Amino acid sequence: MEKGKPVTIDAGTHTGGAPAVQGLSAREVTLSYGAAPVVKGVSLEVPHGGLTVIVGPNGCGKSTLLKSFARVLKPVSGHIALHGRDVRALRGRDFARQVALLPQSPIAPEGITVQGLVRRGRHPHHTLLRQWSPDDDRAIALALERAGMTELAEAQAGDLSGGQRQRAWIAMVLAQDTEVILLDEPTTFLDISHQYDLLELCAELNRDGRTIVAVLHDLNQAARFASHLVVMNHGEVVAEGAPHDVLTAELVAEVFQLDCDIVPDPRTATPMVIPHERVRAGKTG
Amino acid sequence: MSTDLRKAAPAPADSPRPPRGYLRVGNRIALPVQRSSVVVVLCALAALLVAAVLTLTLGRLGIRLTDLPSAVFGGAEGKDAFVLNRLRGPRLVTGIATGAAFGLSGTLFQTVTRNPLGSPDIIGLSTGAGAGAAAFALLLPGVPVWIGAVLGAVGAMALVYVSTGTGFRNPGRLVVAGIGVAAISTAVIQYVVYVVERDAATSLTAYLNGSLAARSWSDATTIWVVLLATAPLCALVSRHLAVGEMGDEISASLGSDPGRTRTAAVVLSIVLAAGAVTVAGPIAFVALIAPQVARRITRGAGPRLLLSALTGALLLVLADLAAQQLPLFDDLPVGIYTMAVGGLYLGYLLTREWRRGSL
Repeated sequence: MEKGKPVTIDAGTHTGGAPAVQGLSAREVTLSYGAAPVVKGVSLEVPHGGLTVIVGPNGCGKSTLLKSFARVLKPVSGHIALHGRDVRALRGRDFARQVALLPQSPIAPEGITVQGLVRRGRHPHHTLLRQWSPDDDRAIALALERAGMTELAEAQAGDLSGGQRQRAWIAMVLAQDTEVILLDEPTTFLDISHQYDLLELCAELNRDGRTIVAVLHDLNQAARFASHLVVMNHGEVVAEGAPHDVLTAELVAEVFQLDCDIVPDPRTATPMVIPHERVRAGKTG
Repeated sequence: MSTDLRKAAPAPADSPRPPRGYLRVGNRIALPVQRSSVVVVLCALAALLVAAVLTLTLGRLGIRLTDLPSAVFGGAEGKDAFVLNRLRGPRLVTGIATGAAFGLSGTLFQTVTRNPLGSPDIIGLSTGAGAGAAAFALLLPGVPVWIGAVLGAVGAMALVYVSTGTGFRNPGRLVVAGIGVAAISTAVIQYVVYVVERDAATSLTAYLNGSLAARSWSDATTIWVVLLATAPLCALVSRHLAVGEMGDEISASLGSDPGRTRTAAVVLSIVLAAGAVTVAGPIAFVALIAPQVARRITRGAGPRLLLSALTGALLLVLADLAAQQLPLFDDLPVGIYTMAVGGLYLGYLLTREWRRGSL
């Protein structure tokens, strides 16, 4: 109904005195699905305008933290803020115009075309009676183009290959037209060239001014693309900062139980993990 | 900020005109209406009209086609008045709304469970409502039957919800639990009917299979009230059901509330099925088939509430036409026809879902 009115919340107008934190931040956030907490009292400021990558061993709570940033999972205690304001105080639709999430296994509805899927990303810009907004066509066309899916716009989502399908979902998230994009293991199920295509796309979107937060498994990819690297272990943030400050052999040994050398990536000079051979009992060399 | 989407400036204020494919009323209302869907809906309406005319005109007691307009719009006399106002009119009007209610109920539940087998007639919702209706009608005369139907439906769904252990999430468990609950409900119906009426074959089939024979205008009113009261709420929930199809996380991150959507859809589905069962009994498979037919005759995704309702109405009216005119037996309950056709479809569906590994 309030079309045309800017939905971005002004920073600094609600916290008297101290300037509000730009973008997403977590304060003392504890998250759990049942009894045991998965994320324990994490405080984290996501650099606004940065490309943040969260890494950590399986079950360390990185995806869970991402979900709470997306307002999908409600913290047991603590709170998540957007531009200094508790996200629970925002209406779902208003939040969804500013922050988008691509979860690990989204479901493509039966019979949907790529274009139809991407159009669903416009949901937060619509209301019950006005299921169309003037920016729709342009946002959808641009999203398809950025994701390289323009040619496949009329294709059935069910007929796509893994790489194409992931790009279709990226396009849906782009059509949502938000300043922050959260991606939960977006490279899983992609072959290596599609992984790099996707990461390059993230970097490109980041250069265009979007804040990206991605959960990744591959430390070398994380170090190569992140402007801000967050390492989690046992539900806590154990290190964060620029990749070459954070990624040390000691940290990898402690967090991943992997002995390694850290060498500069020959192409980008970002830190690169070279694991040592593991000597297993009963085996030689 | 960025050079692309961020700068996708709002179109000039004087011409925010949706492109083709939208129904636009002023600047406030713009609803997606695809031309192909309009054609399909009009065809379904036409088919329903033809089925209605056939229902009123066929057979020994049928009103002559040439007399039909004056009978319907002017007022009928003699035999025609009896056929129109007592025999076939209320039955037809009840059948249309009952079929529509089953169709809507089915499409709501199937969308929420993301599985065609998550349908009121498979998972015991309709039979549960039938058991409640039978118990109240025969054991507690005086209390409105619809209360029994709603209680039966809610009870059956609570039993299914609890016994799956995972709520309505896992379609395989849902179907198995539903079959169990449907069997219990059937037993309740048989017990109640036999306790009350020793020679109860007719009454029993009506409660077990559903029938539209000898419906009155008050039945027609009941189901039309239920249908018209829930329709706006269905329209309200439809948009959220569509994003809900993509999973809870996506739908939450698009600003929709998946839990609330699911609850609303399940409640509406229960009310619609209970309403339909109140007037017609647990007619099988209309709720299962109508949404699937609707899905196949239009392309694209998303729940098609209007078309599912129309398809449900058409299916039930056609089945009841067969029940009235096929010279097999005199006025077999319509539920037996839908059961025969629907059973075949269910077999096909089970095989397909089994192959796809979703069971």
